[in-house]
Amino acid sequence: MDKVNVSSAVLKAAAHHYGSQCDKANKEFMLCRWEEKDPRKCLKEGRKVNECAVNFFRQIKGNCAESFTEYWTCLDYSNLAELRHCRKQQKEFDNCVLEKLGWERPELGDLSKVTKVATSRPLPENPYLSRPRPEPNTPIQAELQPSKHGSRLFFWNW
Amino acid sequence: MSVLMVKQDMPPTGGYGPVDYRRNLPRRGLSGYSMFGVGVGLMVFGYWRLFRWNRERRRLHIEELEARISLLPLLQAEHDRRTLRMLRENLEEEAVIMKDVGEKMFHTDRWVSPITEELFNLRPREETLRKKFGFLRYV
Repeated sequence: MDKVNVSSAVLKAAAHHYGSQCDKANKEFMLCRWEEKDPRKCLKEGRKVNECAVNFFRQIKGNCAESFTEYWTCLDYSNLAELRHCRKQQKEFDNCVLEKLGWERPELGDLSKVTKVATSRPLPENPYLSRPRPEPNTPIQAELQPSKHGSRLFFWNW
Repeated sequence: MSVLMVKQDMPPTGGYGPVDYRRNLPRRGLSGYSMFGVGVGLMVFGYWRLFRWNRERRRLHIEELEARISLLPLLQAEHDRRTLRMLRENLEEEAVIMKDVGEKMFHTDRWVSPITEELFNLRPREETLRKKFGFLRYV
């Protein structure tokens, strides 16, 4: 399995487009991970995520390499890689990607929306592998009378 | 004395002009209320600008958070590497320390996230330290 061998500025530069393109694989992997709570069971989805990421970067490198390089070098220049300092390069990169590959940059707030994911994987029962739960208490058999001398918590009611 | 015309410093003929000696404290400028109003207005304007910029900052922050959200292979890549490393090292450990492997660490079959010490057991100590304190800048 090949690693996505890029640095953090590169990732952040491409993050928005990556979020909208490789959305399916990512969401499936996260759903699997969160439901099964076990990374060993999600290696297949993880592999798909990795493939998708590698494909994504390969496509960018194939088509829009120069504007992307400019964009992420601009981001890399500042300490915190703030996106607002590099708007010009971002616009260029967006235009280039839109022309050549037809990808649109997602609007603000689109990537943090809650989505429903359709998988063919069944929901696991008992992912925590807990022991069988004890029986609930039987309902009270006797007749319940009100307390004989009033409430015993009258003076200690805190 | 003689009527000789000596050059002296005398007042001009006809005397000096009138001297304006009255008080000159003109009433000018804004009144107190309007100065107060100007101050309040400036403050309101400043607040309005501040709120607008804060909203813009919130939007920028959301954008940066979304960049982080969408970089899910972070989690994926790290976990893959971790799991593979653990499995490889467990095999190594079995070959090296043949006796101690029999007992389980926990009484359950669940996946337990490994701790740093366990992962970096067989590696040089500086790697553990780097993993634990690499991000830390203070001492």
